[in-house]
Amino acid sequence: MLEMLSYEFIQRALIASVIIGLVCSIIGVFVILRNLTFIGAGTSHAAFAGVTLGYLLNYNPLYFAVVFSLLTVWIVGYLNRMGYLKLDASVGIFYSLTMALAVLFIGLMKVYNAEVYGYLFGSILSVTKGDLAVILILGLAVLSLVYIFFKEFHFITFDEELAKASGIPAGWLSFLLLTMIAMTIVISLKSVGAILVFALIVTPAAAAYQLTYSMIRMFLYSAIIGIGSSVGGVFLSYWLDLPSGATTVLFVSALFFLSLILSPKRGYNS
Amino acid sequence: MKDNVIIRFSNATIAYQHRTALTNINLEIYQGEFLGIIGPNGSGKTTLLKSILGLVRPSHGTVQIFDCACHKLRCHHKARIGYIPQKGQIDHNFPVTVMETVMMGRYSSIGLFRRPSNDDRELVKKALVEVEMDGYTNAPLGHLSGGQQQRVLIARALVQQPEVLLMDEPTTGIDTPTQYSMIKLISNLQKNLKLTVLLVTHDINMISPYVDRMALINTQLHAIGTPAEVLNEKVLSDIYGKQVVVATRSGGTYVIVGDYHHA
Repeated sequence: MLEMLSYEFIQRALIASVIIGLVCSIIGVFVILRNLTFIGAGTSHAAFAGVTLGYLLNYNPLYFAVVFSLLTVWIVGYLNRMGYLKLDASVGIFYSLTMALAVLFIGLMKVYNAEVYGYLFGSILSVTKGDLAVILILGLAVLSLVYIFFKEFHFITFDEELAKASGIPAGWLSFLLLTMIAMTIVISLKSVGAILVFALIVTPAAAAYQLTYSMIRMFLYSAIIGIGSSVGGVFLSYWLDLPSGATTVLFVSALFFLSLILSPKRGYNS
Repeated sequence: MKDNVIIRFSNATIAYQHRTALTNINLEIYQGEFLGIIGPNGSGKTTLLKSILGLVRPSHGTVQIFDCACHKLRCHHKARIGYIPQKGQIDHNFPVTVMETVMMGRYSSIGLFRRPSNDDRELVKKALVEVEMDGYTNAPLGHLSGGQQQRVLIARALVQQPEVLLMDEPTTGIDTPTQYSMIKLISNLQKNLKLTVLLVTHDINMISPYVDRMALINTQLHAIGTPAEVLNEKVLSDIYGKQVVVATRSGGTYVIVGDYHHA
Protein backbone atom coordinates (compact mmCIF):
# COMPACT_ATOMS: atom_id res chain seq x y z
CA MET A 1 0.00 0.00 0.00
CA LEU A 2 2.87 2.38 0.89
CA GLU A 3 4.46 1.62 -2.45
CA MET A 4 1.23 2.65 -4.15
CA LEU A 5 1.24 5.99 -2.30
CA SER A 6 4.76 6.76 -3.50
CA TYR A 7 3.53 7.26 -7.09
CA GLU A 8 2.87 10.88 -7.90
CA PHE A 9 -0.17 10.12 -10.07
CA ILE A 10 -1.75 8.19 -7.17
CA GLN A 11 -1.09 11.11 -4.81
CA ARG A 12 -2.78 13.50 -7.24
CA ALA A 13 -5.68 11.06 -7.70
CA LEU A 14 -6.19 10.77 -3.93
CA ILE A 15 -6.13 14.55 -3.36
CA ALA A 16 -8.59 15.02 -6.24
CA SER A 17 -10.79 12.23 -4.80
CA VAL A 18 -10.99 13.91 -1.41
CA ILE A 19 -11.91 17.32 -2.88
CA ILE A 20 -14.40 15.94 -5.42
CA GLY A 21 -15.94 13.56 -2.88
CA LEU A 22 -16.39 16.44 -0.44
CA VAL A 23 -17.77 19.01 -2.89
CA CYS A 24 -20.13 16.57 -4.66
CA SER A 25 -21.53 15.20 -1.39
CA ILE A 26 -22.09 18.67 0.13
CA ILE A 27 -23.81 20.10 -2.95
CA GLY A 28 -25.73 16.82 -3.23
CA VAL A 29 -27.57 17.57 0.01
CA PHE A 30 -29.27 20.55 -1.64
CA VAL A 31 -29.83 18.56 -4.86
CA ILE A 32 -31.67 15.83 -2.93
CA LEU A 33 -33.67 18.13 -0.65
CA ARG A 34 -34.70 20.52 -3.46
CA ASN A 35 -35.61 17.66 -5.84
CA LEU A 36 -33.00 18.75 -8.39
CA THR A 37 -31.75 15.23 -9.06
CA PHE A 38 -32.48 15.24 -12.78
CA ILE A 39 -30.80 18.61 -13.28
CA GLY A 40 -27.50 17.01 -12.22
CA ALA A 41 -27.84 14.40 -14.97
CA GLY A 42 -28.80 16.98 -17.61
CA THR A 43 -25.97 19.35 -16.68
CA SER A 44 -23.28 16.68 -16.74
CA HIS A 45 -24.28 15.74 -20.28
CA ALA A 46 -24.26 19.43 -21.28
CA ALA A 47 -20.75 19.74 -19.83
CA PHE A 48 -19.68 16.72 -21.88
CA ALA A 49 -20.98 18.40 -25.03
CA GLY A 50 -18.80 21.38 -24.11
CA VAL A 51 -15.78 19.11 -23.74
CA THR A 52 -16.30 17.61 -27.21
CA LEU A 53 -16.60 21.10 -28.74
CA GLY A 54 -13.38 22.11 -26.97
CA TYR A 55 -11.54 19.14 -28.51
CA LEU A 56 -13.08 19.80 -31.93
CA LEU A 57 -11.92 23.44 -31.91
CA ASN A 58 -8.63 22.55 -30.22
CA TYR A 59 -9.23 24.75 -27.17
CA ASN A 60 -9.18 23.86 -23.46
CA PRO A 61 -12.29 21.63 -23.12
CA LEU A 62 -12.86 22.82 -19.56
CA TYR A 63 -13.79 26.34 -20.71
CA PHE A 64 -16.47 24.97 -23.01
CA ALA A 65 -17.71 22.60 -20.30
CA VAL A 66 -18.19 25.61 -17.99
CA VAL A 67 -20.10 27.59 -20.64
CA PHE A 68 -22.36 24.66 -21.66
CA SER A 69 -23.20 23.63 -18.10
CA LEU A 70 -23.86 27.20 -16.93
CA LEU A 71 -26.09 27.95 -19.92
CA THR A 72 -28.03 24.75 -19.24
CA VAL A 73 -28.71 25.40 -15.52
CA TRP A 74 -29.51 29.08 -16.09
CA ILE A 75 -31.93 28.49 -19.00
CA VAL A 76 -33.60 25.54 -17.25
CA GLY A 77 -33.84 27.54 -14.00
CA TYR A 78 -35.29 30.57 -15.82
CA LEU A 79 -37.92 28.53 -17.70
CA ASN A 80 -38.99 26.92 -14.43
CA ARG A 81 -39.06 30.21 -12.47
CA MET A 82 -41.14 31.98 -15.11
CA GLY A 83 -43.60 29.08 -15.14
CA TYR A 84 -42.99 28.34 -18.85
CA LEU A 85 -41.99 24.69 -18.37
CA LYS A 86 -41.55 22.29 -15.49
CA LEU A 87 -37.98 21.58 -14.46
CA ASP A 88 -37.94 17.90 -15.46
CA ALA A 89 -39.36 18.65 -18.92
CA SER A 90 -36.79 21.38 -19.72
CA VAL A 91 -33.93 19.27 -18.31
CA GLY A 92 -35.13 16.39 -20.52
CA ILE A 93 -34.95 18.64 -23.58
CA PHE A 94 -31.44 19.88 -22.75
CA TYR A 95 -30.30 16.36 -21.83
CA SER A 96 -31.06 15.05 -25.31
CA LEU A 97 -30.08 18.27 -27.11
CA THR A 98 -26.62 18.41 -25.55
CA MET A 99 -26.02 14.70 -26.07
CA ALA A 100 -26.97 15.17 -29.73
CA LEU A 101 -24.45 18.04 -29.92
CA ALA A 102 -21.79 15.84 -28.28
CA VAL A 103 -22.39 13.06 -30.82
CA LEU A 104 -22.31 15.65 -33.63
CA PHE A 105 -19.02 17.19 -32.44
CA ILE A 106 -17.42 13.73 -32.06
CA GLY A 107 -18.61 12.90 -35.57
CA LEU A 108 -17.01 16.08 -36.93
CA MET A 109 -13.62 15.11 -35.47
CA LYS A 110 -11.34 13.77 -38.18
CA VAL A 111 -9.61 11.23 -35.94
CA TYR A 112 -10.59 9.06 -33.00
CA ASN A 113 -9.86 10.87 -29.72
CA ALA A 114 -9.58 8.59 -26.67
CA GLU A 115 -9.36 11.57 -24.29
CA VAL A 116 -12.95 12.55 -25.11
CA TYR A 117 -14.17 9.15 -23.94
CA GLY A 118 -12.13 9.65 -20.76
CA TYR A 119 -14.50 12.54 -19.94
CA LEU A 120 -17.49 10.27 -20.49
CA PHE A 121 -16.43 7.51 -18.11
CA GLY A 122 -13.83 9.29 -15.94
CA SER A 123 -10.18 8.60 -15.28
CA ILE A 124 -9.02 9.93 -11.94
CA LEU A 125 -5.60 8.30 -12.27
CA SER A 126 -4.85 10.61 -15.21
CA VAL A 127 -5.48 13.88 -13.29
CA THR A 128 -2.66 16.34 -14.01
CA LYS A 129 -1.23 19.12 -11.79
CA GLY A 130 -3.20 21.65 -13.85
CA ASP A 131 -6.44 19.67 -13.39
CA LEU A 132 -5.77 19.48 -9.67
CA ALA A 133 -5.35 23.26 -9.42
CA VAL A 134 -8.71 23.81 -11.14
CA ILE A 135 -10.41 21.21 -8.92
CA LEU A 136 -8.94 22.87 -5.83
CA ILE A 137 -9.85 26.46 -6.76
CA LEU A 138 -13.40 25.75 -7.96
CA GLY A 139 -14.00 23.24 -5.15
CA LEU A 140 -12.99 25.76 -2.50
CA ALA A 141 -15.18 28.40 -4.17
CA VAL A 142 -18.24 26.11 -4.03
CA LEU A 143 -17.59 25.11 -0.40
CA SER A 144 -17.02 28.73 0.64
CA LEU A 145 -20.33 29.78 -0.91
CA VAL A 146 -22.14 26.96 0.92
CA TYR A 147 -20.56 28.16 4.19
CA ILE A 148 -21.35 31.84 3.57
CA PHE A 149 -24.98 31.36 2.53
CA PHE A 150 -25.72 28.24 4.57
CA LYS A 151 -28.64 29.66 6.55
CA GLU A 152 -30.25 31.18 3.45
CA PHE A 153 -29.84 27.96 1.43
CA HIS A 154 -31.35 26.00 4.32
CA PHE A 155 -34.37 28.35 4.40
CA ILE A 156 -35.06 28.32 0.63
CA THR A 157 -34.64 24.55 0.64
CA PHE A 158 -37.24 24.27 3.42
CA ASP A 159 -39.76 26.69 1.87
CA GLU A 160 -38.75 29.06 -0.92
CA GLU A 161 -41.92 31.16 -0.90
CA LEU A 162 -41.79 31.64 2.86
CA ALA A 163 -38.13 32.65 2.58
CA LYS A 164 -39.02 35.17 -0.12
CA ALA A 165 -41.89 36.55 2.00
CA SER A 166 -39.43 36.96 4.89
CA GLY A 167 -37.10 39.12 2.82
CA ILE A 168 -34.55 36.47 1.81
CA PRO A 169 -33.37 37.08 -1.81
CA ALA A 170 -34.59 33.63 -2.81
CA GLY A 171 -34.51 34.28 -6.56
CA TRP A 172 -30.81 34.97 -7.01
CA LEU A 173 -29.83 32.48 -4.30
CA SER A 174 -31.61 29.73 -6.27
CA PHE A 175 -29.62 30.68 -9.37
CA LEU A 176 -26.42 30.78 -7.32
CA LEU A 177 -27.16 27.25 -6.13
CA LEU A 178 -27.73 26.07 -9.71
CA THR A 179 -24.42 27.71 -10.69
CA MET A 180 -22.67 25.86 -7.87
CA ILE A 181 -24.16 22.56 -9.06
CA ALA A 182 -22.81 23.28 -12.56
CA MET A 183 -19.33 24.10 -11.18
CA THR A 184 -19.32 20.91 -9.11
CA ILE A 185 -20.07 18.87 -12.23
CA VAL A 186 -17.33 20.61 -14.23
CA ILE A 187 -14.61 19.90 -11.66
CA SER A 188 -15.66 16.26 -11.41
CA LEU A 189 -15.94 15.62 -15.13
CA LYS A 190 -12.43 14.37 -15.88
CA SER A 191 -12.14 12.28 -12.72
CA VAL A 192 -15.52 10.60 -12.50
CA GLY A 193 -16.94 11.16 -15.97
CA ALA A 194 -20.11 12.78 -17.31
CA ILE A 195 -22.19 9.66 -16.79
CA LEU A 196 -21.02 8.79 -13.29
CA VAL A 197 -20.56 12.23 -11.67
CA PHE A 198 -24.28 12.34 -11.15
CA ALA A 199 -24.02 9.31 -8.81
CA LEU A 200 -21.34 10.99 -6.70
CA ILE A 201 -23.61 14.01 -6.20
CA VAL A 202 -26.86 12.19 -5.51
CA THR A 203 -25.94 8.93 -3.75
CA PRO A 204 -23.92 10.13 -0.69
CA ALA A 205 -26.61 12.71 0.14
CA ALA A 206 -29.39 10.15 -0.42
CA ALA A 207 -27.58 7.74 1.93
CA ALA A 208 -27.09 10.49 4.55
CA TYR A 209 -30.79 11.40 4.23
CA GLN A 210 -31.63 7.89 5.46
CA LEU A 211 -29.55 8.30 8.60
CA THR A 212 -30.53 11.59 10.25
CA TYR A 213 -33.18 14.25 10.90
CA SER A 214 -30.62 17.04 11.32
CA MET A 215 -29.39 19.12 8.38
CA ILE A 216 -25.92 19.59 9.89
CA ARG A 217 -25.55 15.83 10.43
CA MET A 218 -26.81 15.18 6.92
CA PHE A 219 -23.93 17.30 5.58
CA LEU A 220 -21.46 15.50 7.85
CA TYR A 221 -22.62 11.97 6.93
CA SER A 222 -22.86 12.86 3.24
CA ALA A 223 -19.28 14.22 3.28
CA ILE A 224 -17.94 11.10 5.04
CA ILE A 225 -19.72 8.80 2.58
CA GLY A 226 -18.68 10.94 -0.41
CA ILE A 227 -14.98 11.16 0.52
CA GLY A 228 -14.89 7.52 1.65
CA SER A 229 -16.39 6.28 -1.62
CA SER A 230 -14.22 8.50 -3.77
CA VAL A 231 -10.97 7.45 -2.06
CA GLY A 232 -12.13 3.83 -1.75
CA GLY A 233 -12.88 3.84 -5.48
CA VAL A 234 -9.30 4.90 -6.28
CA PHE A 235 -7.81 2.09 -4.14
CA LEU A 236 -10.14 -0.49 -5.68
CA SER A 237 -9.33 0.77 -9.14
CA TYR A 238 -5.57 0.47 -8.54
CA TRP A 239 -5.68 -2.93 -6.85
CA LEU A 240 -8.19 -4.58 -9.16
CA ASP A 241 -7.06 -2.73 -12.30
CA LEU A 242 -10.60 -1.58 -13.02
CA PRO A 243 -11.93 1.80 -14.27
CA SER A 244 -11.94 4.26 -11.33
CA GLY A 245 -15.33 5.84 -12.18
CA ALA A 246 -17.02 2.45 -12.03
CA THR A 247 -15.37 1.36 -8.76
CA THR A 248 -16.28 4.68 -7.11
CA VAL A 249 -19.94 4.47 -8.09
CA LEU A 250 -20.19 0.79 -7.08
CA PHE A 251 -18.61 1.66 -3.72
CA VAL A 252 -21.01 4.56 -3.01
CA SER A 253 -24.01 2.53 -4.17
CA ALA A 254 -23.07 -0.23 -1.72
CA LEU A 255 -22.96 2.37 1.07
CA PHE A 256 -26.37 3.65 0.02
CA PHE A 257 -27.95 0.20 0.32
CA LEU A 258 -26.24 -0.22 3.69
CA SER A 259 -27.75 3.09 4.86
CA LEU A 260 -31.19 1.87 3.79
CA ILE A 261 -30.77 -1.17 6.02
CA LEU A 262 -29.42 0.84 8.96
CA SER A 263 -31.84 3.76 8.57
CA PRO A 264 -33.65 4.75 11.76
CA LYS A 265 -36.37 6.11 9.47
CA ARG A 266 -37.43 2.87 7.84
CA GLY A 267 -34.76 0.28 8.47
CA TYR A 268 -34.47 -2.33 11.19
CA ASN A 269 -34.36 0.34 13.93
CA SER A 270 -37.74 1.89 13.13
CA MET B 1 -58.42 53.57 15.68
CA LYS B 2 -59.33 54.95 12.26
CA ASP B 3 -56.26 57.22 12.28
CA ASN B 4 -53.95 54.24 12.52
CA VAL B 5 -54.31 52.64 9.11
CA ILE B 6 -51.45 50.14 8.72
CA ILE B 7 -52.55 48.41 5.48
CA ARG B 8 -54.42 50.14 2.68
CA PHE B 9 -55.88 48.70 -0.55
CA SER B 10 -56.89 51.49 -2.97
CA ASN B 11 -58.83 50.32 -6.05
CA ALA B 12 -56.50 47.32 -6.16
CA THR B 13 -56.95 44.76 -8.93
CA ILE B 14 -54.69 41.72 -8.97
CA ALA B 15 -54.61 39.43 -11.96
CA TYR B 16 -52.68 36.26 -12.80
CA GLN B 17 -51.93 35.22 -16.38
CA HIS B 18 -55.37 33.86 -17.19
CA ARG B 19 -57.68 35.17 -14.48
CA THR B 20 -58.40 38.10 -12.20
CA ALA B 21 -58.07 37.11 -8.55
CA LEU B 22 -59.16 40.37 -6.95
CA THR B 23 -61.07 43.28 -8.48
CA ASN B 24 -61.15 46.88 -7.31
CA ILE B 25 -60.49 46.24 -3.62
CA ASN B 26 -60.78 49.20 -1.26
CA LEU B 27 -59.91 48.22 2.27
CA GLU B 28 -58.24 49.84 5.27
CA ILE B 29 -56.86 47.70 8.07
CA TYR B 30 -56.10 49.37 11.38
CA GLN B 31 -53.17 48.91 13.69
CA GLY B 32 -53.86 46.37 16.44
CA GLU B 33 -57.05 44.92 14.96
CA PHE B 34 -57.93 41.27 14.43
CA LEU B 35 -59.45 40.90 10.96
CA GLY B 36 -60.96 37.63 9.77
CA ILE B 37 -61.05 37.11 6.00
CA ILE B 38 -63.71 34.72 4.73
CA GLY B 39 -64.96 33.62 1.32
CA PRO B 40 -65.38 30.51 -0.83
CA ASN B 41 -62.51 28.57 -2.45
CA GLY B 42 -60.76 30.56 -5.17
CA SER B 43 -62.21 33.85 -3.95
CA GLY B 44 -58.80 35.59 -3.69
CA LYS B 45 -58.20 35.36 0.07
CA THR B 46 -54.64 34.00 -0.26
CA THR B 47 -53.91 36.47 -3.07
CA LEU B 48 -54.93 39.27 -0.71
CA LEU B 49 -52.28 38.15 1.81
CA LYS B 50 -49.66 37.60 -0.92
CA SER B 51 -50.24 41.11 -2.24
CA ILE B 52 -49.48 42.51 1.24
CA LEU B 53 -46.27 40.45 1.27
CA GLY B 54 -45.33 41.85 -2.14
CA LEU B 55 -45.32 38.37 -3.70
CA VAL B 56 -47.91 39.52 -6.26
CA ARG B 57 -48.42 43.11 -7.38
CA PRO B 58 -51.60 44.88 -8.42
CA SER B 59 -52.18 45.52 -12.12
CA HIS B 60 -54.32 48.53 -11.14
CA GLY B 61 -54.50 50.53 -7.93
CA THR B 62 -52.18 50.21 -4.95
CA VAL B 63 -51.56 48.04 -1.91
CA GLN B 64 -49.62 49.71 0.89
CA ILE B 65 -48.29 48.67 4.26
CA PHE B 66 -46.40 50.96 6.65
CA ASP B 67 -47.09 53.66 4.01
CA CYS B 68 -44.92 51.80 1.44
CA ALA B 69 -46.04 50.06 -1.73
CA CYS B 70 -46.02 46.36 -0.82
CA HIS B 71 -44.11 45.22 -3.93
CA LYS B 72 -41.30 47.64 -3.08
CA LEU B 73 -40.82 46.50 0.53
CA ARG B 74 -37.24 46.17 1.70
CA CYS B 75 -35.94 43.51 4.10
CA HIS B 76 -36.41 45.63 7.21
CA HIS B 77 -40.06 46.15 6.31
CA LYS B 78 -40.59 42.47 5.51
CA ALA B 79 -39.15 41.58 8.91
CA ARG B 80 -42.08 43.49 10.46
CA ILE B 81 -44.58 41.13 8.76
CA GLY B 82 -44.98 37.60 10.12
CA TYR B 83 -46.46 35.15 7.62
CA ILE B 84 -47.91 31.73 8.24
CA PRO B 85 -48.67 30.18 4.83
CA GLN B 86 -51.29 27.57 4.09
CA LYS B 87 -49.80 24.46 5.62
CA GLY B 88 -48.62 22.06 2.96
CA GLN B 89 -47.62 18.53 3.82
CA ILE B 90 -44.33 18.81 5.67
CA ASP B 91 -42.02 15.98 4.61
CA HIS B 92 -41.86 13.64 7.61
CA ASN B 93 -38.15 13.05 6.98
CA PHE B 94 -37.03 16.58 6.07
CA PRO B 95 -33.94 17.31 8.15
CA VAL B 96 -35.03 20.33 10.18
CA THR B 97 -35.57 20.62 13.93
CA VAL B 98 -38.07 22.84 15.75
CA MET B 99 -35.24 25.17 16.84
CA GLU B 100 -33.92 25.47 13.24
CA THR B 101 -37.42 26.14 11.87
CA VAL B 102 -38.13 28.95 14.33
CA MET B 103 -34.64 30.41 13.85
CA MET B 104 -35.45 30.89 10.13
CA GLY B 105 -37.74 33.70 11.26
CA ARG B 106 -34.63 35.62 12.42
CA TYR B 107 -32.69 35.25 9.17
CA SER B 108 -33.89 38.43 7.46
CA SER B 109 -33.10 40.45 10.62
CA ILE B 110 -29.68 38.80 10.99
CA GLY B 111 -28.86 39.61 7.36
CA LEU B 112 -26.55 37.97 4.84
CA PHE B 113 -23.03 36.82 5.83
CA ARG B 114 -23.87 36.65 9.58
CA ARG B 115 -24.63 33.80 11.94
CA PRO B 116 -27.37 33.69 14.62
CA SER B 117 -26.20 35.15 17.95
CA ASN B 118 -27.07 34.15 21.52
CA ASP B 119 -29.70 36.92 21.51
CA ASP B 120 -31.33 35.29 18.47
CA ARG B 121 -31.32 31.93 20.27
CA GLU B 122 -32.95 33.55 23.32
CA LEU B 123 -35.68 35.07 21.10
CA VAL B 124 -36.34 31.63 19.61
CA LYS B 125 -36.68 30.08 23.07
CA LYS B 126 -39.04 32.89 24.15
CA ALA B 127 -41.21 32.42 21.04
CA LEU B 128 -41.41 28.68 21.71
CA VAL B 129 -42.53 29.39 25.29
CA GLU B 130 -45.24 31.74 23.94
CA VAL B 131 -46.71 28.94 21.78
CA GLU B 132 -46.13 26.33 24.53
CA MET B 133 -43.67 24.32 22.43
CA ASP B 134 -40.53 24.90 24.51
CA GLY B 135 -40.30 21.20 25.35
CA TYR B 136 -39.73 20.27 21.69
CA THR B 137 -36.68 22.38 20.81
CA ASN B 138 -34.62 19.59 19.26
CA ALA B 139 -37.48 17.47 17.89
CA PRO B 140 -37.62 16.95 14.10
CA LEU B 141 -40.44 19.13 12.73
CA GLY B 142 -41.86 16.26 10.69
CA HIS B 143 -42.42 14.20 13.85
CA LEU B 144 -44.89 16.65 15.38
CA SER B 145 -48.67 16.56 15.02
CA GLY B 146 -50.39 19.04 12.67
CA GLY B 147 -51.36 21.31 15.58
CA GLN B 148 -47.85 21.26 17.03
CA GLN B 149 -46.32 22.02 13.62
CA GLN B 150 -48.67 24.99 13.28
CA ARG B 151 -47.61 26.29 16.70
CA VAL B 152 -43.98 26.04 15.60
CA LEU B 153 -44.78 28.00 12.43
CA ILE B 154 -46.52 30.65 14.56
CA ALA B 155 -43.38 30.83 16.73
CA ARG B 156 -41.33 31.22 13.53
CA ALA B 157 -43.46 34.25 12.65
CA LEU B 158 -43.37 35.67 16.21
CA VAL B 159 -39.60 35.46 16.47
CA GLN B 160 -39.45 38.14 13.76
CA GLN B 161 -41.03 40.45 16.39
CA PRO B 162 -43.61 41.45 13.78
CA GLU B 163 -46.20 44.22 13.93
CA VAL B 164 -48.46 42.45 11.46
CA LEU B 165 -49.28 38.75 11.38
CA LEU B 166 -50.74 37.22 8.20
CA MET B 167 -52.21 33.75 8.65
CA ASP B 168 -53.54 31.62 5.81
CA GLU B 169 -55.92 28.95 7.09
CA PRO B 170 -53.84 28.13 10.19
CA THR B 171 -56.37 25.60 11.51
CA THR B 172 -56.69 23.45 8.38
CA GLY B 173 -56.04 19.75 8.91
CA ILE B 174 -56.22 19.99 12.70
CA ASP B 175 -58.81 18.33 14.98
CA THR B 176 -61.60 20.54 16.34
CA PRO B 177 -60.43 20.93 20.00
CA THR B 178 -56.93 21.83 18.76
CA GLN B 179 -58.44 24.33 16.31
CA TYR B 180 -60.16 26.12 19.21
CA SER B 181 -57.00 26.17 21.33
CA MET B 182 -55.10 27.52 18.30
CA ILE B 183 -57.57 30.38 17.75
CA LYS B 184 -57.46 31.22 21.49
CA LEU B 185 -53.67 31.23 21.35
CA ILE B 186 -53.70 33.58 18.31
CA SER B 187 -56.24 35.86 20.02
CA ASN B 188 -54.14 36.02 23.21
CA LEU B 189 -50.96 36.73 21.24
CA GLN B 190 -52.76 39.46 19.28
CA LYS B 191 -53.88 41.16 22.50
CA ASN B 192 -50.68 40.65 24.52
CA LEU B 193 -48.27 41.63 21.74
CA LYS B 194 -50.61 44.29 20.26
CA LEU B 195 -50.37 42.67 16.83
CA THR B 196 -52.41 43.44 13.75
CA VAL B 197 -53.68 40.03 12.66
CA LEU B 198 -55.22 39.07 9.31
CA LEU B 199 -56.51 35.53 9.41
CA VAL B 200 -57.87 33.74 6.34
CA THR B 201 -60.25 30.92 7.16
CA HIS B 202 -63.24 28.90 6.04
CA ASP B 203 -64.38 28.38 9.61
CA ILE B 204 -66.60 31.38 10.19
CA ASN B 205 -68.06 30.12 13.47
CA MET B 206 -64.69 29.48 15.05
CA ILE B 207 -63.28 32.95 14.50
CA SER B 208 -66.39 35.13 14.87
CA PRO B 209 -66.16 35.41 18.71
CA TYR B 210 -62.52 36.54 18.51
CA VAL B 211 -62.20 38.92 15.55
CA ASP B 212 -62.82 42.67 15.63
CA ARG B 213 -64.00 42.73 12.02
CA MET B 214 -64.64 40.34 9.16
CA ALA B 215 -64.09 40.84 5.45
CA LEU B 216 -66.18 38.76 3.06
CA ILE B 217 -64.41 38.31 -0.27
CA ASN B 218 -65.32 36.68 -3.54
CA THR B 219 -63.01 38.35 -6.07
CA GLN B 220 -64.52 41.60 -4.82
CA LEU B 221 -64.93 42.85 -1.27
CA HIS B 222 -68.60 42.10 -0.58
CA ALA B 223 -68.82 43.09 3.05
CA ILE B 224 -66.63 44.45 5.84
CA GLY B 225 -67.60 45.08 9.45
CA THR B 226 -68.19 43.37 12.78
CA PRO B 227 -69.27 39.71 12.59
CA ALA B 228 -72.83 40.74 13.38
CA GLU B 229 -72.79 43.18 10.44
CA VAL B 230 -71.19 40.82 7.92
CA LEU B 231 -72.88 37.54 8.75
CA ASN B 232 -76.03 38.24 6.80
CA GLU B 233 -78.07 35.34 5.44
CA LYS B 234 -78.76 36.91 2.04
CA VAL B 235 -75.18 38.06 1.41
CA LEU B 236 -73.68 34.73 2.50
CA SER B 237 -76.21 32.74 0.42
CA ASP B 238 -75.33 34.79 -2.66
CA ILE B 239 -71.59 34.33 -2.14
CA TYR B 240 -71.53 30.63 -1.26
CA GLY B 241 -74.36 29.65 -3.60
CA LYS B 242 -76.02 27.66 -0.82
CA GLN B 243 -78.76 28.29 1.66
CA VAL B 244 -77.37 29.91 4.79
CA VAL B 245 -78.90 30.25 8.23
CA VAL B 246 -77.47 32.74 10.73
CA ALA B 247 -78.35 32.04 14.36
CA THR B 248 -77.54 33.99 17.50
CA ARG B 249 -76.92 32.18 20.75
CA SER B 250 -75.33 33.32 24.02
CA GLY B 251 -74.27 36.57 22.36
CA GLY B 252 -72.42 34.74 19.55
CA THR B 253 -73.35 34.64 15.86
CA TYR B 254 -73.25 31.25 14.15
CA VAL B 255 -73.57 30.30 10.49
CA ILE B 256 -74.95 27.08 9.08
CA VAL B 257 -74.23 26.55 5.38
CA GLY B 258 -75.72 23.80 3.27
CA ASP B 259 -78.78 22.60 1.42
CA TYR B 260 -80.93 23.47 4.38
CA HIS B 261 -84.68 22.90 4.23
CA HIS B 262 -87.20 24.28 6.70
CA ALA B 263 -89.60 21.69 8.06
